[in-house]
Amino acid sequence: MIKLTIDGREVELERPVTVLEAAKRVGVTIPTLCYFEGLPNFGGCRLCLVEVERLPKLQTSCTLMASDGMVVRTETEQIRAARRAMLEFLLINHPLDCPYCDKAGECTLQDLVARYGPEAGRFAEGKRKHPESLDDPIIVRNMERCVLCTRCVRMCEDLQGAYAISVSGRGGHSLIEPFSGGRYDCEYCGNCLTVCPVGAIMSRLHRHSYRPWFVEREVETVCGYCGVGCSMVLQVREDSIVRTIPRFGLGLNNGLLCVRGRFGYDAVDGEGRLTTPLIRVEGRLEPVGWEEALAFVASRLGEIKDSHGGRAVGAIASGRCTNEDNYMLQKLMRFVIGSNNIDSAARFHYAPAEAFLESVFGQGITANLIPGIADSDGVFVTGGDPTAINPVLGLQVRAARRSGGKVIVLGPPGGLKRFVDHELVPMPYSDEVVLSAIVGGLMEAGRSSGENRAVEERLKELRLPSEEELSAAGIGPEALARAVDDLLKMTNPVVILGPEIMDGARASKRLFLVGAVAYLMNARIYLLSERPNYQGVMDMGCVPDLLPGGGPIGLEMLRDRIEAVLGLRVPEEGGLTLFEMVDEAERGGLRALYVMGEDLLFSLPDRARVQRALGRLDLLVVQDIYLTETAAMADVVLPAAAWSEKDGTFTNLERRVQLLRRGRYPRAGREDWRIIADIGGRLGMEKTYRSAEEVWEEVTHASPLHAGLGYSEIAGGGAVWPYHSEPLKGTEAGFAVQGLGELPGVEAPGGPYLMPERPLFHSGTLSRRSRALLSIHPEPYLVIPPSLSEELGVTDGGRVRVVGAKGTMVLKVRIDPDQREGTVLLSNTFEGANFAGLVGFTADPVTGCLTIEDNTVRLERVDDEAL
Amino acid sequence: MKIQEEIKGYLERYPDRRGALLPALYIAQRKAGWLSQEALEAVSEALDLPKATVRGVATFYAMYRQRPMGRHLIQLCTNVACMIFGAERLVDLLKERYGLEPGGTTDDGRFSLVIMECIGACDRAPAMLVDTDFHPGLTEEKIESILEGYE
Repeated sequence: MIKLTIDGREVELERPVTVLEAAKRVGVTIPTLCYFEGLPNFGGCRLCLVEVERLPKLQTSCTLMASDGMVVRTETEQIRAARRAMLEFLLINHPLDCPYCDKAGECTLQDLVARYGPEAGRFAEGKRKHPESLDDPIIVRNMERCVLCTRCVRMCEDLQGAYAISVSGRGGHSLIEPFSGGRYDCEYCGNCLTVCPVGAIMSRLHRHSYRPWFVEREVETVCGYCGVGCSMVLQVREDSIVRTIPRFGLGLNNGLLCVRGRFGYDAVDGEGRLTTPLIRVEGRLEPVGWEEALAFVASRLGEIKDSHGGRAVGAIASGRCTNEDNYMLQKLMRFVIGSNNIDSAARFHYAPAEAFLESVFGQGITANLIPGIADSDGVFVTGGDPTAINPVLGLQVRAARRSGGKVIVLGPPGGLKRFVDHELVPMPYSDEVVLSAIVGGLMEAGRSSGENRAVEERLKELRLPSEEELSAAGIGPEALARAVDDLLKMTNPVVILGPEIMDGARASKRLFLVGAVAYLMNARIYLLSERPNYQGVMDMGCVPDLLPGGGPIGLEMLRDRIEAVLGLRVPEEGGLTLFEMVDEAERGGLRALYVMGEDLLFSLPDRARVQRALGRLDLLVVQDIYLTETAAMADVVLPAAAWSEKDGTFTNLERRVQLLRRGRYPRAGREDWRIIADIGGRLGMEKTYRSAEEVWEEVTHASPLHAGLGYSEIAGGGAVWPYHSEPLKGTEAGFAVQGLGELPGVEAPGGPYLMPERPLFHSGTLSRRSRALLSIHPEPYLVIPPSLSEELGVTDGGRVRVVGAKGTMVLKVRIDPDQREGTVLLSNTFEGANFAGLVGFTADPVTGCLTIEDNTVRLERVDDEAL
Repeated sequence: MKIQEEIKGYLERYPDRRGALLPALYIAQRKAGWLSQEALEAVSEALDLPKATVRGVATFYAMYRQRPMGRHLIQLCTNVACMIFGAERLVDLLKERYGLEPGGTTDDGRFSLVIMECIGACDRAPAMLVDTDFHPGLTEEKIESILEGYE
């Protein structure tokens, strides 16, 4: 026990901390400029100076460790004079342009000078001149205001791991600069904005548009971009959101955000936001009033139900909508229309992956807390780049590496490039060969515990690759042995699984093998999620075969239970998945489709087929915030409220339920659940709801998983799996795995494989409505390896024609030296230039996930004159 | 890619990649006479260090040049001892004879001039360095004949 005195107060410490932190514990705030909690201490600004008895000089409290018997004073005349002197030095070059500076009002330097002085500086010499840099679309750098605290550099290096900026020059000529000296070309997390104590690094988004003291309200909510579910604060003025900021101590992201969360909030204010309901009249979408639109939808749905039965109606739920929205859509379909045809884009990867792993290991196998990743001593990543798909989760992987953990990546490492110990990049579609070898290595080391007999029985069937087969898959046997050695040394490991594990035939085998790796290592599994609420979509029963709470619809006991709660019957007939609905629509069996917040035409491959299928429907209702390509085909379009305009809950990939709070009222449009409840009411649904909380209240009764989980408890942040419920054990039905006994040879394709890029700066089609995100990543490009650029004779920025099985596009190329041979990448973001528009698809026979087909492409150089 | 191979040859002499950064920057500078952005990128790639970090270090040290320089670099001291022994006259002479301003480069790209704050040769002032050659006890005649030896 360490005992010391700070400003006359006794402090007792269990373990040594700095004097600054010790002071904080007894409520003594010592002024600081270069100190920032969570960053390595620097001791550069010398404002945290304190007097310590028996030490001759003032000491920097941020670097001095508290020791037993210390007597510390933090505010004496000597200290005040020293602080005043330090500030006088800082003001030698600081321009004092506070009237023009956006930081004024929340500037640490301003506050400190107000408190300590000096009222006037004694330096008559001219100030350093360095023009403000507006070279970057997002970040404005004003180095005249910089006090060289280096918080931004330490943030960028030590927490974000982007290493994009550094101090250049020396002494009085020091500047904070990105490599180019102008544009940042970084990850644009904006975390340097959070830590800058002055107006040196500022966001261009709201430059000179408001003053910090104009912020009228702050609303704590959850980000609407990906499945991490970062907490953030919306700063609101006059019903518009001026800024989103993270807050230390708030949420699992604890003060960090990624580019999408921090800068993508303007996606809801893009051009073309729907303002009124539309109904198709003589082939054209015409504006109508809400009453007319709702009555029309209700009567058409009623007619189709009456003439063709509930099975002729289907619905698509949305991973961008809240639990309440999705629950209500599910209620409308199951209990009002009488159809189990409800699914969502979670079907592509997330839902089948989770369902498969749960069928092997039991419910909740992927429910693990994100902050725990940083504490693990080993991370195995496959199926995607966490730093792009779920960036703040990716930071946890980087943190684990920084504190000595080993990182093993199977597949292209992307943003983990500098943080990988073993980079295993196999030939395209050879992951299962490498995974089989890893599983073989773990089994050989005696890692089979006998705990899960079913898994170990199936593993006996596994055909292991020979050394030649492994080499043919692109991985040297020694490299693999070294990776397995490190896997075996991990004591607290984590397995992170991305959507690309499902790409290609035999998805069940790869999933099973990754599951087996986790099982043999006793690792926690994390499933990356591209949407904020894929988990909630599943938990709310927006899956044909699961009820709210994730219980299988086939269990009579569960059907009876929900019937007792709602007084409504669950339809007996099985439902269709998203892919089956497309098939049925094409065949004419499905007559009406209700699409909430999903752009099917864009996100599904084989556009011509999807267009044909949707075109055959008698009724297509699309509820969205923009007139998406799918909405443009609809018979009725209903404008919805966006993420920042509604209350509700999201369930993130760790299965934490979190509150979404309205930052402002929608410009137009209504909450999704409200629209659906209104339609339900017109079709005979008796229950009415006044708020999202009332919808959630019903969820807590309808879903055994969420029983007793109220908004107040959720708001506290502790709504983590399994809430107050008992998870279901692995189902007795067992699980199916395809092709364990066989290994595919490496096929020589007729051209490079086109693979999906999941870019950091975009998220589906929503992000292309954000001016900020577009300014960073404005146009589509095809990523190609250097060998291909030589073969085609095309340079960076040149154009190629991409001829795919389902489409042809002319695209700019970006040459990436790290791009895997034999593959090219295209994101699924930009209209007319998207991955899905070029390839075909089918559903995986075992897991039901999206399997991309026909994705070898032919590339031809296009000379600009020919355009 | 030759610089990169040379840099990689240095790696084993240092405990970590960062340690090899200063010699790597010298190698890159020797090729072009200064460190362009491309040269810094090449160093960053060879050592697998972040580009911004490489630039930060390169701009910290005076011996790394951020701008193109002449074929030969004259580093002339004008600090106290050298000043008393007439270094400032030598600065004027360089301007008259070669059109060379402090911090500048001759039009033919032959010489660049940097004024130094003491090169530790006060006992033999005034003194200068040309590239890595040390020349003490300079006079107006002597400096000209020395410089004529550099093409």
